Amino acid sequence: MNAVEQFLTQLQGQLRVRGAARRRVLRECRDHLEDAAAQVGPQEAVRRFGAPDALAAAFDIEVAAGRTQRSTAAACVGVLAVAASTLALVNGASAGASAVPLWAVVFFAAAQTAAVSAVLAAVQAAGMRHAPAAPADMALLCRRNAAALMFAALTLFAAGAAVPGQGGAVSLLAGPTAAGLAIIAVLRTRSLVRRLPSGRSRVRRLPLTDVAAILAPSTPNMAHRTLLLPSTLLATASAFVWDHTDGGTATSSLTSASIEAALVIAGYLALGPALGLRPSRHGRRPGAEPV
Amino acid sequence: MLGACLPPTDPIPSVSVYREVMRAELLRGHLEGLLLAVLADQPGHGYALTQRLAERSGGELAVPEGSLYPALQRLERRGWVASSWEVVDGRRRRVYEMAPAGRRAGSGAALEWQRFAAVVDQVMGSLA
Repeated sequence: MNAVEQFLTQLQGQLRVRGAARRRVLRECRDHLEDAAAQVGPQEAVRRFGAPDALAAAFDIEVAAGRTQRSTAAACVGVLAVAASTLALVNGASAGASAVPLWAVVFFAAAQTAAVSAVLAAVQAAGMRHAPAAPADMALLCRRNAAALMFAALTLFAAGAAVPGQGGAVSLLAGPTAAGLAIIAVLRTRSLVRRLPSGRSRVRRLPLTDVAAILAPSTPNMAHRTLLLPSTLLATASAFVWDHTDGGTATSSLTSASIEAALVIAGYLALGPALGLRPSRHGRRPGAEPV
Repeated sequence: MLGACLPPTDPIPSVSVYREVMRAELLRGHLEGLLLAVLADQPGHGYALTQRLAERSGGELAVPEGSLYPALQRLERRGWVASSWEVVDGRRRRVYEMAPAGRRAGSGAALEWQRFAAVVDQVMGSLA
């Protein structure tokens, strides 16, 4: 086995990426080494090409970064498609039907969680587009995408349970189909990212960090606690106004606002570590910023 | 007389070491800009781009040739470069060409380098 074949065998053993991307990497490296070997000999060609382990690591990161961006786009499309299907379902509800209260609460909670997760994912993907991608950050993006799709699916289910009705098959199935394809892309990306070094670590990544990367470096990077308070106040005020303009009494509006505040805080406590909004107790990445 | 028999020594032995370290660091930080510069002339496959880079730099910029490919994939992910399989000299190769967004990014990279070089020159000029 000459030096080029030996190198390619080592590179194959080090690469974690699979499928068409792997075949492309190996093909391009082989073509390059054959051209170089024809000029300077196989030993020198391999020496000039670089170390196979470093090269494999660089390829894995780049393929994972590309898949992460594409799966985020698929997840956003999936969430929007499910939202459209949910609207179609709600509009097709039986005339005079009143919503089952528990499912109505689940519906609103799941819808907001899906929307927040999708926005966090989209903003993070935009912020990471021109920056070096770390496996831990890619893992976080996969979790945000998965959360957005799962809660979008729960929203659709809760809508059907809250106000049973009927609708066209295409409009009702388009959302779940798009979400199903998106979750496959997200899981495939997650599978690759978890095989990378520190791909299983949990990190905290504030949305304003990504906003600053997109817009202007001078955007203040507020601590996670200050993000929770304005978010809770905004959600609570919105719930109060929504209920009040819907004909609710002051008492019912206050009740809605209280439930909304409780759900926001509970969501932050329960999902904060998974969505990278607050530190988790386990799996902190070495060198991550102290909280 | 004994000194005349000894091989000549570099009066500042650390210069060559410093040059190698600096070159490696600069290449790492500006590889994408360099790739955009060689792609600006015409499309090419990876090996051709390596040759073009070595030729234009007079052999001064010697990157680990394999490192070009992850960098090219990064440029492609950002939409600055596009690639496709084409037949070159009877062989099927992955050929890269610059996208319109890449031209703008390349100009930006060149300007950034000029500013950086001017600042470093300003600070280090007195040492030369």
